[in-house]
Amino acid sequence: MSIQVENNLRNVESKEVFEQKAHYVPCKIEEDGPANVDKYFEPYVLEEDGDLTASFRGYPLDGTKMTLPEGYRAVVITEAKRPLAEDAERKFQVAGGFKDFTYWNWDKKPSKNDNLVKALDWIDISDAIHGD
Amino acid sequence: MVNSLQELQDFIKTKNNYSNFISSSEVPEVCKSEPCMLGVDEAGRGPVLGPMVYGIAYCPVSETKVLQDLGCADSKALTEEKRDNILTKMLTEESSLNNVGWIAEVISPNYISNSMYRRAKHSLNEVSMNSAISLIKRAAESGANITEVYVDTVGPPEKYQAKLQEIFPDYKITVAKKADSIYPIVSAASIVAKVTRDHALKVWQFHEGLEMSHTEFGSGYPGDPLTKKFIRDQIDNVFGYPMLVRFSWSTAELMLQEKAAACTFEEVDDQGSTKKPAKSISSFFKQNSDDGKARKRHKFFDERYLTVSNPFE
Repeated sequence: MSIQVENNLRNVESKEVFEQKAHYVPCKIEEDGPANVDKYFEPYVLEEDGDLTASFRGYPLDGTKMTLPEGYRAVVITEAKRPLAEDAERKFQVAGGFKDFTYWNWDKKPSKNDNLVKALDWIDISDAIHGD
Repeated sequence: MVNSLQELQDFIKTKNNYSNFISSSEVPEVCKSEPCMLGVDEAGRGPVLGPMVYGIAYCPVSETKVLQDLGCADSKALTEEKRDNILTKMLTEESSLNNVGWIAEVISPNYISNSMYRRAKHSLNEVSMNSAISLIKRAAESGANITEVYVDTVGPPEKYQAKLQEIFPDYKITVAKKADSIYPIVSAASIVAKVTRDHALKVWQFHEGLEMSHTEFGSGYPGDPLTKKFIRDQIDNVFGYPMLVRFSWSTAELMLQEKAAACTFEEVDDQGSTKKPAKSISSFFKQNSDDGKARKRHKFFDERYLTVSNPFE
């Protein structure tokens, strides 16, 4: 299987498309596609002394802003149509990206013990092991 | 200070409808010196739409005639128009302003869902009791000389009464079913709560961009055909419902299970700690065929839920 990623946004003037807003929600949502984040979620995000709160499907969320580790960037890619054959070449399109995101926990203040924060330890460790 | 139902609506509009807020009268001077009775009642406990409102009213024990003159009687037997009239009188007439004080707490549907969906769940009863207790305290703290408290309850009155008596040892406390039809002061509290809820629904603004008025979504009770239609039709595949809806109501839960994208949160036990996935009995009998073959991953990776994966599979 080979993978080809096309970046049609390479020459896009505005940076916005690569600085989109992203939320990491503590819930598996069986859906892949656009969502009404600006209407159904963001109006309800409250900030008090740097602590964020919000609500998803009635569940209380506690959040914090996170930036990607240095040297990393997030890119969103989409596939228009997955080929039927297993070994056929697959084509992806760059749809945008983000530099920072909001990390949300369900009814629990975000801390350094959260799995995602701990998982990012690996980036430094792997660099120490495998880096130059 | 709110002087008319229009001003009540305008006041509600200035508050965000996904948090709780308080609306209240001034404390009448006479209530600061004379011993007062206080009534507690709620409106909108059952509906799947809109806030629940807790109301209290208080007046001097010696001035209960004012309540009769206002027409405070079994509030369920009063029409919406009658209730609106009584609250208008409470907001404008000298005899009432000088003797009857009131406070309402508007408990948002979002707060109700959030409480019931916490890691350690709070029941609607706890939310209700906490609101009642905080309102009684608030009346006393603002200077009212409370000596007697009458509370309407839906559950068994004995436990509730004991709990309140423990918190307020100096008050004479009476908790009773249908208290609003027995005690005029509870009826007054009930009118404050009910009218506030009705008007909160009338001025509801959807941040979700829906242009819909209360005449279209109905009373909010799950049996109301308009409310049923709203619950059936106004579904967002990812987010479920606008914040007008109490997500924790089974009517809403069941409809989302059927019609919206499936969402799974981490499972917790009743105390709110994370459940370990149960090992099935058969796993104890299974021969471990991987023995010696698969390289065991360091616990560093297990603890961080890190696995090698290919998102393009």
